[in-house]
This record gives sequence, C-alpha cells and structure tokens, in this order.
Amino acid sequence: MLRFLLIRMAVTLPTLLGMSFVAFAIVAIAPGDPVVMELRAMGVVPKPEDIAAIKAEYGLDRPFFVRYLDWLGHAVQLDFGVSVATGRSVAEEIALYLPATLALSLSALVGAISISLALGILAVTAGPVTAQGTRALTILLVSVPPFWLALLLIHAFVLNLGWARLVGDGSVSDLILPALTLSLGAGAALGRFVYERVTAERCEDYVRLAIAKGLGPMQILLGHIAPRIIGPLATAWANTLGGLLGGAVIVESIFGWPGLGQLILQAIGQRDFPLIQGYLVFMGLIFFATSLLADIVVILSDPQLRRRLSRD
Amino acid sequence: MVALSVRNLTVGIEGAPPLLSRISFDLAAGEHVGLIGESGSGKSLTAGALCGLLRPPIATSGGSILIEGTELLGRSPRAWRRARGADVFQIFQSPGTALTPGRRIGPQLAEAARRAGAEPERVVPPALDAVHLEQKVALQFPYQLSGGMKQRALIAMALILRPRVLIADEPTTGLDVLTENDVLSAINRMAAETQSAVLFISHDLRAVKKVADRVLVLHQGRLVEDCAATALAASGAEAARRLADAALTLQS
Amino acid sequence: MTEAIPVRRFRIAPGRGGLTLGLVLLVLYALLSLAATPLSLPPPEEMDLLARLAPPSADHPLGTDHLGRDVLARIIAAIPVSLGAALAAMAAIMAIALPWGLVAGLAGGRVDMVLMRLADIVLAFPTLALALAVIGFLGASLEASIIGVVAAWWPSNARLVRALVLSARERDFVRAAYLAGASRLRVVIRHILPQILPPLAVVVSLETASVLLALSSLSFLGIGAQPPTPEWGAMLNEARPFFAQAPHMLLAPGIAVLLAVVAFNLIGEALRDLLDQRSPYRW
Repeated sequence: MLRFLLIRMAVTLPTLLGMSFVAFAIVAIAPGDPVVMELRAMGVVPKPEDIAAIKAEYGLDRPFFVRYLDWLGHAVQLDFGVSVATGRSVAEEIALYLPATLALSLSALVGAISISLALGILAVTAGPVTAQGTRALTILLVSVPPFWLALLLIHAFVLNLGWARLVGDGSVSDLILPALTLSLGAGAALGRFVYERVTAERCEDYVRLAIAKGLGPMQILLGHIAPRIIGPLATAWANTLGGLLGGAVIVESIFGWPGLGQLILQAIGQRDFPLIQGYLVFMGLIFFATSLLADIVVILSDPQLRRRLSRD
Repeated sequence: MVALSVRNLTVGIEGAPPLLSRISFDLAAGEHVGLIGESGSGKSLTAGALCGLLRPPIATSGGSILIEGTELLGRSPRAWRRARGADVFQIFQSPGTALTPGRRIGPQLAEAARRAGAEPERVVPPALDAVHLEQKVALQFPYQLSGGMKQRALIAMALILRPRVLIADEPTTGLDVLTENDVLSAINRMAAETQSAVLFISHDLRAVKKVADRVLVLHQGRLVEDCAATALAASGAEAARRLADAALTLQS
Repeated sequence: MTEAIPVRRFRIAPGRGGLTLGLVLLVLYALLSLAATPLSLPPPEEMDLLARLAPPSADHPLGTDHLGRDVLARIIAAIPVSLGAALAAMAAIMAIALPWGLVAGLAGGRVDMVLMRLADIVLAFPTLALALAVIGFLGASLEASIIGVVAAWWPSNARLVRALVLSARERDFVRAAYLAGASRLRVVIRHILPQILPPLAVVVSLETASVLLALSSLSFLGIGAQPPTPEWGAMLNEARPFFAQAPHMLLAPGIAVLLAVVAFNLIGEALRDLLDQRSPYRW
C-alpha cells in the first residue's frame, strides 16, 4: 500500500510541476508589465531607468526559465514573496485566511453529500410522481445562482427573522448560512449525479438478479449498487470540493465570512500578483490532494484493481 | 399438485400487437419442463413476466400467473418482492454479468440464505458442494471465476433459496459442451434436492432433453405445442418439428 | 433478453415536457431581446433621479434602480450581454475541447498522453479559482471573465470528447470502416462525429448552464461585466446596498438568471433522457 502511494505520488510529479508552471506563467504572460503596475500601485509614475533598476532588483531581467526555476525554488518552501498591497508575506496572508475557507468548504461538502444522497435516493426509490418532483426540485436547485440564493437567505434569516447576523467573527454559528448556501447547489448537482449513476446501474444484469432474489430497494442500493458507485462518487465528491473552494469566494464576500474570498477579491482589484499566484497554488494543492484521495478510493473499491495492486 | 399455473398470459407494449399472446400451461410440483423456440419467439419475455422483471414499456397486459394457487399479477411491488426468491427464482442467460461484480461469492450466497431464513454458515458450504464448486470460491470475486463456475454459483443460489418454481433462462448458452454438462447436472441435483418445479428455457433441444421430459414450444409469441420431449418430431406443429429436426441434424 | 424489442411507435418520454419548457424559455428570451421596443420602455441607460428605487408601477413594471433606471428595460438589455457571454464562452470552450479531444482520442499513444497530461494540469486547479487568477492578471472586465472561464472549463470538456471518441471507435461498424480501408478523415466525419454529437449536445447544454452561472457570479463579484453595462449579475451587485429598501431590484435579475440556467439544464436533461431510453428494472 505504502509503495503504491509512493508510486502514485511519483506519477503525479509532472502534473505538480506543470501546475506550478501554469501558476507562474499566468503572471509572466499577463498583459502589462508587473513592475510598472507595482510602481503605479505605490503611486509612483516610473521613469525608464527606475524600471530597469527595479527589474534588476527583482531579477526580472533574467530569462524566463531562470526566473521560473528561481520562483519554483522558493515556492517549494511555500515562499511566494510579499503581498504588494499589505507588505506581508503571501504565505502569512494565506495562512491567516485559509482555515476559514477550508472550514466553510468542508462543512458545505458534508452538507452537499447529505443533500445529494437524500435527493438521489428519494428520486430512485419513490413512486413516479415523487420521483419526478424530486428531479424537478434538483434541477431548480442546480440552477439557482448561489449569490442570489445568499441574498435571499440573508433577506429571510437576517433582515426579517433576525436569526443570524451578517458581520460575524467567524464562529461556528456564523458558518451555517454560508455553508447552507454553498451546499444546496452543490448538493443538487451531486444528487443528479447519484440519480444518474444509480439509474444506469439499475439497467444492469446484476441488479436484475438481486431483484429476482427478492431483495428490496434499500438492500439492493446498499448491498449491490453502492460498492459499484463508491469510486465514481468519491471522484465526484473531490470535484465538488474543488467547486466549493472556488465558490466559497462568492459566498464569503456576501456573508462577510473571513476566508480567502475577501482577500482574493481585493488582490484582483489591486492587481496584487504574488498574492493571486499564491492563492492559485494553494487552491491547486488542496484540490490536488483531494483528487489523490479520491483516486485511492476508486482503486480500493474495485476488487480487480485492488488485487493487481497487492500482487505488484 | 400444481406449482405454477399460467393462464392466457399476454405481454406487450401498449398500442402495439402483443409480443406474447394468451399463453397457458401448468407445471406440477417438482416437474421439469422445457420451453423451447427460436430466437425472438418470446421465451425470455415469458421468463421475465413470470418473475415480474419486464422492463417498461413492455408490460403484462392480461391473464394470470398462479403459484400454488396464489395470483401474482396485479400485486403490489412489496408482494412481488415477497414472492421473488421464495416462490419463483430465475437463473439468467448471462452468468458473466449476473453476479454483483464488487462482492465476493460467499456474501452473495449468504444474502440469499438470509432471504430464505436460513443460517448462511449451515447452507452455503453444502450448496457449493452440491454444484461441485470448491469452498474457496466463496472467498473469490465473480471476475475470478469461469463462465461455467459463475453459472454453478447461481445454481447454488437457487439451491439455497429453494424456490417453488425455478426458471432457468438459457443457462448453458455460450458455454462449451463439457461445461454445459456440468451445469445441467448441477441443475438436476439442485432440483432433486429442493423439489422445485423447473422451467428450463433453451433454443437447444439436446440440452432441454437432459433436464426435462416434457416440452413447450413457443412460436412467434404463441404456445404451439405441449408434449413429451420424445414426441416432438411427430408434432402437429411445424415449428416444433423444425426444432426437433435441427437437434437431430446437430447430433449426427 | 434475446427478444428484439420492436420500435416504439410513440411513447411519452419523461423529458419531453422539460425539453419544450426549456426551448420555450429560450425563445422567450430571444423574442424579448429582439422586440423590447414595442413594450415602450425607457432606454436602459436613462436615469430618472426623481424616481429612484421606485417599486413596480405602470410606468416601470419591475420598478427602478438606485439611479432611477427602469429595471425591466435593463433586464431585457442584459439578455444579449449575459446570454451572449455564456454562449460565446461555450463556443470558445468547444472550439478548444473538440479538436483537442478528437485528436487525443484518435491518435492515441504518445500524442494522447501528452494532450491529456496538459489537460490534467489545468484540471488540477479548482475551476473558479483558476478563472479568478486569470481575471486577476487580465484586469476585471467581461472579456477577462469570459477568458478566465474558458481557460478553466475547456479541459474537462476535452476529456469528455476524448472519452466519447474512444467509445465510438470501439463500435463494430467503425472498426469495419477502418478495415474496409476508409480514410481516417472519412471515418471521423462519417462515423465518429455523428455518434458523438448527440451526447455532446447534452454536455454542451448542461455546461452552458454552469458557464452562465459562473459568468453571472463573476459579474456579481464586480470582476466581470462592469457598470453601467446591463448584466444580470452586475445588476444584482449594484442592488446589494439597497437590498432592504428595494427588494424588487434583487428579485427580478435573480429570476432572469435562474430561468435562463433552468432552461439550459432542462434541455440538457431532456436530451439525455431521449438518448438513453434504457429503462431500469423495477424493484
């Protein structure tokens, strides 16, 4: 198992390297000279010789690949330089706000998985009318713009009912509304996936045998279909977490949840490139690790793959 | 005593001509009957209708299916669930895909045992013995077994469930002759032990004769003959004679 | 079952109602954007500072915004912007994904590996995070948000196209065409494309829905379409400060986004139901 993990990690090294290159290259190929922009951000109208001096200072006059390798060397030590806007190190800034975003995304993931299982199972076990109703509800929830849902929830729960507050301090009770907002849409999308997978499996011969044995829907779902779809489900969960990490930005900015969302929106406004770069790398790494976990679940849930693994 | 009594069974798609029309036959308790016919004559549809396993839009549109005097048609899904496995069970023609791929054989048989109200430890090992499968098969996954072994695992499942009526839908299709013999003798041993009535469906009269003494012949959705297996060549129905001739040609 | 199932003459497919509803909604949007003038609404930019934040009335069916602009007129003026941006983004995504997936699926071997590895690298970022980063470096604008979404969305679609091509290639008649000596291009055009187009239509429809949501979210965050461009997400962003005083500013643009997204989702789901008519065993 350990060997498998190591091999799996080794195989992903090129992808990681490629990711770092993408994150670096986005800055390098971005229109507008970052140096000029940094100076402008500081309120300085730069003269050509200033630009050259600063370029030399930051090493920007060196060839592209040299700069990339230099950047990579620092990046592997989680050193992404200094935020232009705040003057603090990017790693510090991100470390400050990342926990809140992770807490929000993970609780929304738990919510989304629960919602998806409820919707999916209802759609496949209920009678035709309830099943159609569930599918219609699913489509509606998938289609609701999350930011609009957030505003509606605030209108209902904060302004009218007064059950929640808007400018929180990051305590658990402040997490409920943003997590709910995020998990409804993601849960419905996952629920649609559960419904599709289960329906596809229900056309298979092995389900026919299980029915012929006299088993009920829940027994067939748990005992026969679940082992088949747990792998694809794990992959879908990992992808959902990726969506939630990104989607958190929207919800955080509305609810005032102190996560990375506020930080990155500011950074985009101020063209704070090192910070955006760091954000992209951190999000990529977290998502990457989750996908790796999902891959392992896929392999463990398939007896044929598992056997090949233990034989190696 | 009559185990299965089918009267005027009609199956089709609403608004289209029926695919099976007004089929009637009886199976006595413990009797083995063959159901033969060309491809497309409606054999598998009959099997599906008897187990309540037709897929929409195909549905049973009339007639009755009595198992030991109890009507199955028109009953609730829950009642069908009670009947399946205990009253009627089916072995399918594609053993390769019939078993759940992600679970070992043992748990799949144990599930059948619990369904039949028996203790898995007491019924699973003898069932494997009866179909000449080694005990270690219980620890294996379906993909590790050959086609014949999978089919015998399904027969072991039938042995555990002890249904009043067992339907075997082309259980030997795609198997070589030696494996076919193994499977057929496993079915006979199973039937002898459980006293189930067996409806053995095949397009191959040779295989049918090894299990059943009486045959029903389906032709274009109608039952055209019901006679002793040996009397088929002298049948008044042309479709029945043709099947008998074909079997004879293959043997010589 | 070995029985051939006869062709169904007619059958009410579960998704047909949804398909109709989705198409009707889209046609409605198209008609509205073409025929806004007969409604005799004021121009979407016209400010009436005396009638700021006015609730719905005969003059302004959906009320006015914080600058006294007619909300309905702005919602209609936003149709080509919001829907157009989503369709443009989707077209660009397919323009990359289709050739990418086709080449990878058909060439196989090393070409396939390299192409998919490249796609995987982009795919390894959370989509919205990547879109944000791209917008960050381009500067906030509607164009930048489209580019950002395209950059983040194409690889998953390229993967999908490749998977469709691979399964199409396995079909017997495609193999037979190859064996009969048909040229590669001919096989692609005559045999593979027709097979992958129907499932691709499902994907395109569902993806357009998600792209539309993403683009309007970005505009809502203030990093997509910029004021005073009428755009549904941007309108909601502008409505935020006035949200307690003038809830009508909040409802109408949100419903506009919702219905457009619902339309694409309905069409996608209905197409899928029509394509896959295998019906499950009943338990």
